[in-house]
Amino acid sequence: MNKVKSLVLAGLLAFAPSIAMNGQALAQDNVAVAAPAADNAAAPADSAANAAAPAAEAAPVAKVAAPPRMKPTEGIGMPKPGEVTLQEQFTSTGHTARWLHDKMLLPLIFAISILVLALMLYAMWRFRASANPIPSKTSHNTFIEVVWTVLPVLILLVVAVPSIGLLADQYKPAPKDALTVKVTGYQWYWGYEYPDAGIPEFVSNMLTEEQAKASGEPHQLAADNRLVLPAGRPIKLIITAADVIHSFAVPSLWVKMDAVPGRLNEKSFTILEPGVYYGQCSELCGARHGFMPIAIEALPPAQFDQWVLSQGGKPAGAAPAVAAAAPAADAKL
Amino acid sequence: MATLPPSPFDRDRRNRRTMIAMAGVGLSMLALGFASVPLYRIFCEQTGFGGTTMRADANVQVREAAGHTMSIRFDSNVQPGMPWQFYPEHRTDTVTVGSKDMAIFIAKNMSDKPVTGTASFNVTPSQAGAYFTKIQCFCFTQQTLQPGQEVRMPVLYFVDPRILKDPDNKDTQQITLSYTFYPVEQDKKPS
Amino acid sequence: MTTITADHHGDHAHDHHDADHKPAFFQRWFMSTNHKDIGTLYLIFAIFAGVVGGAISGLMRVELAQPGIQYLQGWANIQHSLLGAEPASLDQAYHLWNALITAHGLIMVFFMVMPAIIGGFGNWFVPIMIGAPDMAFPRMNNISFWLLIPAFALLLGSAFVPGGTGYGAGTGWTVYAPLSTSGSAGPAVDMAILSLHIAGAGSILGAVNFITTILNMRAPGMTLHKMPLFVWSVLVTAFLLLLALPVLAAAITMLLTDRNFGTTFYDAAGGGDPELYQHLFWFFGHPEVYIMILPGFGIVSQIISTFSKKPVFGYLGMAYAMVAIGIVGFVVWAHHMFTTGMSVNVKMYFTAATMVIAVPTGIKIFSWIATIWGGSISYKTPMVWALGFIFLFTVGGVTGVVLANGGVDDVLHDTYYVVAHFHYVLSLGAVFSLFAGFYYWFPKMSGRMYNEFLGQLHFWVFFVGVNLLFFPMHFLGLSGMPRRYPDYPAAFEKWNQVATHGYEIMAVGMVIFFINVFWSLAAGKKAAGNPWGEGATTLEWTLSSPPPFHQFETLPVIDDAAHH
Repeated sequence: MNKVKSLVLAGLLAFAPSIAMNGQALAQDNVAVAAPAADNAAAPADSAANAAAPAAEAAPVAKVAAPPRMKPTEGIGMPKPGEVTLQEQFTSTGHTARWLHDKMLLPLIFAISILVLALMLYAMWRFRASANPIPSKTSHNTFIEVVWTVLPVLILLVVAVPSIGLLADQYKPAPKDALTVKVTGYQWYWGYEYPDAGIPEFVSNMLTEEQAKASGEPHQLAADNRLVLPAGRPIKLIITAADVIHSFAVPSLWVKMDAVPGRLNEKSFTILEPGVYYGQCSELCGARHGFMPIAIEALPPAQFDQWVLSQGGKPAGAAPAVAAAAPAADAKL
Repeated sequence: MATLPPSPFDRDRRNRRTMIAMAGVGLSMLALGFASVPLYRIFCEQTGFGGTTMRADANVQVREAAGHTMSIRFDSNVQPGMPWQFYPEHRTDTVTVGSKDMAIFIAKNMSDKPVTGTASFNVTPSQAGAYFTKIQCFCFTQQTLQPGQEVRMPVLYFVDPRILKDPDNKDTQQITLSYTFYPVEQDKKPS
Repeated sequence: MTTITADHHGDHAHDHHDADHKPAFFQRWFMSTNHKDIGTLYLIFAIFAGVVGGAISGLMRVELAQPGIQYLQGWANIQHSLLGAEPASLDQAYHLWNALITAHGLIMVFFMVMPAIIGGFGNWFVPIMIGAPDMAFPRMNNISFWLLIPAFALLLGSAFVPGGTGYGAGTGWTVYAPLSTSGSAGPAVDMAILSLHIAGAGSILGAVNFITTILNMRAPGMTLHKMPLFVWSVLVTAFLLLLALPVLAAAITMLLTDRNFGTTFYDAAGGGDPELYQHLFWFFGHPEVYIMILPGFGIVSQIISTFSKKPVFGYLGMAYAMVAIGIVGFVVWAHHMFTTGMSVNVKMYFTAATMVIAVPTGIKIFSWIATIWGGSISYKTPMVWALGFIFLFTVGGVTGVVLANGGVDDVLHDTYYVVAHFHYVLSLGAVFSLFAGFYYWFPKMSGRMYNEFLGQLHFWVFFVGVNLLFFPMHFLGLSGMPRRYPDYPAAFEKWNQVATHGYEIMAVGMVIFFINVFWSLAAGKKAAGNPWGEGATTLEWTLSSPPPFHQFETLPVIDDAAHH
C-alpha cells in the first residue's frame, strides 16, 4: 500500500474522473489507481478486461469528454462530524422514511422512555422506605393491566400505518424505462455495468488517504470510479455479488440492499438533486469489508448523457431500450 | 397438582419420562433443521419466495391477457474463474402477459477443455416470482461445452396472467430474469 | 408471594452434620453432582470468559478511538510472531479485526451471559426456589458444565490457526455463508463451529435438566402458579433453548459439511441457497436473545419485589408475558434479514410481528413499576442495579421498535444503531440483571455480605461508563457508520472517542467490582440466612447462608393459603 501511495501523483486524481482498471488482479491491489490518469477520455471501455470482446460488436468509442468530476458538498451525502441524527435525504423514500423516524418514532420513543423514567423516579422518591414504611399489599388491578396492554397495541397500530406505507413506497418498482445499472460486489470493490447504455463493467476502488485529500473528498468514502447516475430520472439497480455477500448501502438515498452471490436483487429510486452521495459496504465480507466504499455521482440529465457518450455508451434517448445492446458487454472471463 | 410427595422411585421414573420426551423435542427440532433444506426449496418453488420462478408443463394452457404487456430483462453472470462467455441475445423483451415466449442465451466455452456448468436463477422484483413460469430452460439440467463451443440456449416462459390481479405487483412493469453459471466440480455433489 | 411452612427455619445447626458433609476437593469440583457447586463453577467460568470478552472489546474500543489504524497492525504482528509467522500484512491485520469482533460476540453470548445467568444462577437457585434437593439429573448437570471448557478452548484456539486471509475465524458471530464456507479457508472456522456445537450440546442438556427439574421436582404445594418468577423465566428459557439450539446445530453442521465434504446446502453453485443459512441462524438467533434476557427479567422481578417489600404486581401477567415473548420470539426471525431482498409482504409481516413483542415487554416494564408503586423501597445495591436495568432496558427496547420498521431498517440495518440497540438490551440489560443477581445472591452463595459502598460505587461508575459507551453509538448509526469496521471516516471521530472514554470508565467500574468481590470473600461480614428482611419471600432465604451442602432433605411444604 505504501508503495502505491508513493507512486501515485495524487494531484492528478482531481482531474481524472474515470481511471482505466486493468482487470481484477490489479484492481484488488489498488494499483490500478496508478494507471494513466490525466486523460479524461480514458474510459473503462478501453480496459484490458474488455479486450476479449468481439471487436465487431464493440460499441463505437465516442470522442466526447466526460463532464468534470463533481466536488462533493461538505455534509451532503456523507456523515457530518459529530452528527446525531440521520443524514439529509435525497430520494422521496428517504424523505418519507426520515419523516417517519424524526416526526413519529423519535418523539414516540422519547415519550415512552421519559414516561418510564418519570414514573420510576416518582415512585422511587415517593415510596422510599423512610417515607413509606408500610408497603401496600396490592398486587392486582385488572383495569390498569388492561390499559397498559391495550394502549401499546393502539400506539403500535398508529405506527404501523405509515410504516407499512413506507414499505410499499420502498418496493414501488421502477417504470420499465428506468435506467438500469448492474452492481456487483467483489472482495473488496464494487463493479458497475450499464447494460442498456452498453457501458461494460468498470470497478470502483477506495482512494488512499492522500488521493482522497488531493481530490477533496472524505477518506474511506471516496472511490476512484464513481457510480454515475442521472438526477431526476428513475433508476433501477440490479445487485448481485461474485464471491461472498456484500451490501450496497447509501444512507443519504435510503438504500441498502444485500448483494448475494448467485441471486439478483433490485432496488429502485430517483435521486432528487445532483450531487455526490457516499455509502459503505454493509455486510461483513472479509478482511477489507471496511474499505470498499460506494460513491455515487448524480449528474443533471444532460451531463449524464454526456458522460454516457464519453464512456462509449448510448444514452437512453438515442436508442430505445429494447434495441439489442452489444452482447460484448456481457463477455466475462 | 400433586400434593403428596412422590416417592423417590416414582420421581426418578417421571424424570426419566420427561427427559425422554424433551430429548424427543430436541431431536425433532434437529431433524426439522435438516429437513428445512428440502422444505425451504419446496416452499420457494410453491410460493415464488425470494423470486423463485415457477415451472410448468410444455402443454400448459394459459389465456393471453391481450393488451397487457410486461417488459422482461435478462441478466447473466458467470462465476469468476469460469472460462465461459454467457449473455442474453437480447437485453430486454416485451411480452404479452399470458403468452409463451422464448429467450435465447448464448454461452461459449473460452477454454481449451470441456467445461460443465450449472446455473442458479431468480427473478426480481421477488414478488413476481410466483407468476414467472418456465416451460423449458437450460437451467433445469447441466450444460457441457466443448473447447471453443458456442451454444444458443433457449428459455421458454410466460408471465402468468394472474399477476394482473395481484395488488403487490400492480406497479410491476419489468421483470428481470437472472442466471449465474457455475462450473460443476466433480467433487461437488448436489445436495 | 408465598407463605412457607419450612421445616428448616432455625434448625440449620441440626442439619449441618449430615447435610453439610462435603466431598474431597477433586471429587467436589471436578466430578461435582451438587447443583450449587456446579452453579459456582459456571459463575467462575462466566466471570473468566467475561474478562476475556471484555478485554477484546477493550482492544476494539482502543483501536476505534480515532480514525486510522493505530494498533491493529501491531497486535496482528504479535499474533503472528507468537505463531512464528511472517509479520502480518495489512489485510491480515484487518482479518484480525474480524476475528476480534467474532470472538467478542461468541464469547459474550455463549460463554459469559448464558453460563452466568442460566448455568450459574439457574443452577444455584432454581432447585432451592422450588424446594428441590438438587437438579433432576445431577451428573448430566456436571457434563453440561464441563462441555463448556473444551468449547471455550476450541474458540480461543481458533485465533491461532489460519482462517482465510489471516489467523482466526473472521466471520462475525453470525457465521454467514458463503463468507464462512468458501470465504474462509483454514481450520479456524471449523474450530469455531465445533466450539458452538459443543457449547450448544451442553446447553441443550442443561435445558432438558431444568425442564425436568421444574416440572417434576417441585416441593408439595409449589404449583406452577406459585413458582417464583425467576423459575418461570428459566423454564421458558429452557424451552427456548431446547427448540432453538438444535436448529443452530443443524445449520452449522451443514456449514461444516459444506466446508469439508463438498455438500452445497448454502452454495448456489450446487443448487443451495446462502439465505437458507440466514433463515436457520436467525430462527435460532432471535430466540437466543430472549434466552439471554428472560432469566434477567426473572432476577429483576425477584429483586424488585424483595426491596419494595411487596409481592410482584400482576404475577400471572408477568409469567405469561414471558411465555408470550418466548412464543412470538420464534416467528420474527427474518427482521434480522430485512435487506436480503425479501418481498414486500414478507417484510410487512415481519415488521408487524416484531412490533407485537413490544406489548408483552411493555407489560413487564409497567408491572415492575407497579411493583415498586406503594412499596417501601430500600436502595440496596441489588435494587439499584435492578432499577437501572428497567430504565436501560426500556431505552434498548424502544430503539427495537424503531428497528422493527422494515422501511427504517433500510438505513439502520448493520449500522452502529443496531450495535447500540442490542448492547442496551444485552450489555446494559442482561449484564445489569447479572450484576443485580450477583449482589442479591452473593450473601447467600458465599455466606458473606458484599461491601455496600463499593457495590453502589460500582453501579454508578458502571452506569455512567456504559451509557457513555453505548449511547453515542445511536448517533453513529443514525449518521450511517456500518458495524464491524476497524476504521471510519473522520466525521465519526467524535462519538467514537466518547464511546472509548465510556469504555475506560466502565473498566474502572469492573475493577471496583473485583475489589469488592475479593474483599468481601476474604473479609466480608458474615451474612444471615435472610439479609434482606421481610421482602425476601422465596425459599432460598429460609436456608442458612451459604446453604447446607444438601438442602431440603425433608421437603418443605408450601402453604396453600398463599398468594392471590
